[in-house]
Amino acid sequence: MAESRKEEINLDRDADGLVRDATQSHIKVKTIYRPEDIAEDQYEEALGDPGSFPFTRGLYKEMYRNRLWLKSFIVSYATPEETNEAFRDYIKNGMNDLRLLSDLPIQSGIDPDHPASWNSMMCGGMSTYAINVYEKMLEGIPLEGVTFELAHQNVSCSIFFHGMIVAMMEKRGLDVSKLKGNGIADPIRAKLVYASPDWTTEINRRVCLDHIEYAMKHTPKWKAIAPNGVDPCQGGMNAYQEIGMVLAVARQTIRDLKERGISIDDFGSMICSLDAESDFFETIAKFRAIRRMWAHIAKDELGAATEKAMMLKIGIRTSGLSLQWQKPLNNAARVTLQILSCVLGGVGSIDASSIDEAVGLPSYEARMFNLDTQHIITHEANVPLVADPLGGSYYLEWMTDKIEKECQAFLDEIEERGGVYECLETGWLNAVMEENRLKIQREKAEGKRLIIGVNSFKGESGPINKEIENCAYKVPTEQMRTDKIQELNEFKAARNTEKLYDCFRRLYLDTKEGRNVSRAMIDGIAEGMTMGEMVGIVRLGYHISYDPLNMLPTPDYVKEALKEYLS
Amino acid sequence: MRKIRILVAKVGCDIHERGALTMMTVYRDAGMETIYTGRFQSEEGVVNAAINENVDFISVSDLTGSLVIICKKLMDGLKEQGAENDIHVICGGIITDSDREQLEAMGVLGAFGTGYPAEKTVEFIQDYMKDKLD
Repeated sequence: MAESRKEEINLDRDADGLVRDATQSHIKVKTIYRPEDIAEDQYEEALGDPGSFPFTRGLYKEMYRNRLWLKSFIVSYATPEETNEAFRDYIKNGMNDLRLLSDLPIQSGIDPDHPASWNSMMCGGMSTYAINVYEKMLEGIPLEGVTFELAHQNVSCSIFFHGMIVAMMEKRGLDVSKLKGNGIADPIRAKLVYASPDWTTEINRRVCLDHIEYAMKHTPKWKAIAPNGVDPCQGGMNAYQEIGMVLAVARQTIRDLKERGISIDDFGSMICSLDAESDFFETIAKFRAIRRMWAHIAKDELGAATEKAMMLKIGIRTSGLSLQWQKPLNNAARVTLQILSCVLGGVGSIDASSIDEAVGLPSYEARMFNLDTQHIITHEANVPLVADPLGGSYYLEWMTDKIEKECQAFLDEIEERGGVYECLETGWLNAVMEENRLKIQREKAEGKRLIIGVNSFKGESGPINKEIENCAYKVPTEQMRTDKIQELNEFKAARNTEKLYDCFRRLYLDTKEGRNVSRAMIDGIAEGMTMGEMVGIVRLGYHISYDPLNMLPTPDYVKEALKEYLS
Repeated sequence: MRKIRILVAKVGCDIHERGALTMMTVYRDAGMETIYTGRFQSEEGVVNAAINENVDFISVSDLTGSLVIICKKLMDGLKEQGAENDIHVICGGIITDSDREQLEAMGVLGAFGTGYPAEKTVEFIQDYMKDKLD
């Protein structure tokens, strides 16, 4: 300290000024916006009141005054016991939307005893290989009337865990039509971002439609698909490409359902997951633009007659990628601004990232901070008192129009290139994601995009930051992993094989012969069918290897169960 | 003088790929011959690829917190094949202080947390290799 005082002090009033003249998505902006910038916008057509077409200002007349957004985050620690405990605490403190996840091997479609499972087993969440784990995880938590969200990366998980909750409700004699929530089950995102090995896109697209159809009939309050923009955005896409992905998947899904005789009015409102990024106004404009765009696509293009079918509900995951490992206390500012942009953008649910997320799995206190931030925004800052409080801002309305225009051009290009599935298969979507990712990476390296504490304003970490770095959740030990495999083996040995194998056969045949696979899956799950088994048997039904990673042969007991059919 | 050869690797089911892709382009931009394994690899597969491709470095990325488990298997695999003096391991991703100690103890040359400046990792490799490129 004493030494530094001797340094010469240079105070430059204009140091550290702005380095950008464009948003995070490279939209160039002027220094001021005026009435003529939005002169074309007629109030009723472009905006409308909240609760009226085209829903730019929000889906509901009274917005948050009537009902606040759902408060959510993914809770999935290494063990079901810890996770159950955490759910109870968070619910007590205001969480009302239960977002479920599993570890990475389960999300890849393999069980804990698969050799590729070891190093990521129980990482990023629980190893929810079968119903016994779910029963422990949700012990004492009501299944009716609670909102669940399935955040898993792939389609197989969304179906498996919806089936898991249905099977649990049926076992307990509960009314499954009261099951509420959604699963992402986005076949494009599963491959584009995750290259998820479980199923092929052909399988994903078909079973996803089976699943939607089944859910509409039996669990009507469950949205069986929620097109996801969060992960394409985290993978490199910009704001208008992100919402373009969501709209393209939503539109294609409705078209596919139409071929099965299901109309958009039968389907009802669409739900999607979007990213809340650091660029404040761009993020707010993105939420407003996508609601307006879906309303028009649904009405003008897909023939929606009911208002409900023109509504797009937005669920949020704030940007994990924006969070930094250096000086993690700064992440509190990032997350707070991101949450604020969601509230100002009128979203329906918020899953906020935690300040320690760049260091490890979020700790309890970091999660509490997320809930408290939302309570402060609500009760101290009074932000949600008025619907769409920024509506009419010259800049925000111009930005909303601009994002819509750019997104429309992106959507047109997807159509010209043969649709969203074709664009996935040809690798074009990946190239788009990669191009923007590289652009951002270079800007950061060249100091054209400042990240505080990382490439600018570095400073030193003091005791508060150090403490955050050290309190993140620790990964499970190797002993815990060994025990998990043991537990799986014991569970498998105790199953009623006669009933289980019957479910295997039904699932295999329904897959192969083109019937809806959902019921066979749920019955299998109730009998203890594991994730790896469900994924593998569907694969066999498509004449591809049982093991998605091609490391193991078809297990003997599966061969035995299907011996009449496998040549 | 020949170029530094480096294998960017992902092991197991960790799907977080952005760090690996970023490092791949950074190494390439720095003039290194860079190969990427893709996701869902095994440790044995990575070691074999490193030997077959005759690389100087394996640069493994993992965001699950499991780098100690992964690197232990990589180091053992390299030793088994007698390649531990020719192929060096560095890693990046989620790393705690205690991970760092264990990684150092097993001979991992460098462990870089998320957000560590990529150009510094490049400098580290270039420094280490400066007298070793004939």
